[in-house]
Amino acid sequence: MTDEGVPVWRRDFPYEAAAEDEVTRREFTRYLVAGAAVMAAGNVGIAAWTKLRSINTGEARDIVALDDVPVGGTHLFRYPTDDDPAVVLRLEGDEVVAFSQKCTHLGCVVYFEAEEDRWHCPCHEGNFETRTGVVLSGPPPRPLGRIDVEVRDGRIWALGYEP
Amino acid sequence: MRTSQRAPRASSALLIYVIILVGFQVFLFTVAVEAFAAGDESLAAATAAVSVVLAALAAVFYRYLRP
Repeated sequence: MTDEGVPVWRRDFPYEAAAEDEVTRREFTRYLVAGAAVMAAGNVGIAAWTKLRSINTGEARDIVALDDVPVGGTHLFRYPTDDDPAVVLRLEGDEVVAFSQKCTHLGCVVYFEAEEDRWHCPCHEGNFETRTGVVLSGPPPRPLGRIDVEVRDGRIWALGYEP
Repeated sequence: MRTSQRAPRASSALLIYVIILVGFQVFLFTVAVEAFAAGDESLAAATAAVSVVLAALAAVFYRYLRP
């Protein structure tokens, strides 16, 4: 090879055929194989990211004062990381439940429908039971991710996340 | 003579195999992304393993393709 990247044989034989600019079958296959390798790497990356994400189940954290959440009302927060939307619902008295807001179908945000007494995903009409988060209807394959919460000294604490 | 007639057909077949494998790869990648978005951990490892096997298979086919 010369400094300009031109092969020696090309310098000694400087003639070009019209077909030289076309992509050969082998070159095309090489591109395809490279694409397959990139997608395999992407899949491995997603698997690793998923594994790392499941390790972080959160640490105990003060969320909100109990009195700031009315009975039958909700409060939005982020847990276990700032990228994970979550919602706590006050049921009766000191009883509270909290779930990840990500629908287990395709990750849309769920919200509490008080008049229907259920968690509802508006994207594909998925519905979840209020207290347990199990699927009532619609396409979601799994219950909502549950966040352990308890009331300490008049404040709601998140203790951990169960995907 | 027979061999020289068969060679282009064999390389075409290999190319088609690779195209099919890449099609599966696209499908697997879509499944993995959807599972990730939905927080489903059960599919991630399986799709990654199958995807790596398919990529390796495509590389093997490429190796046997005539220059």
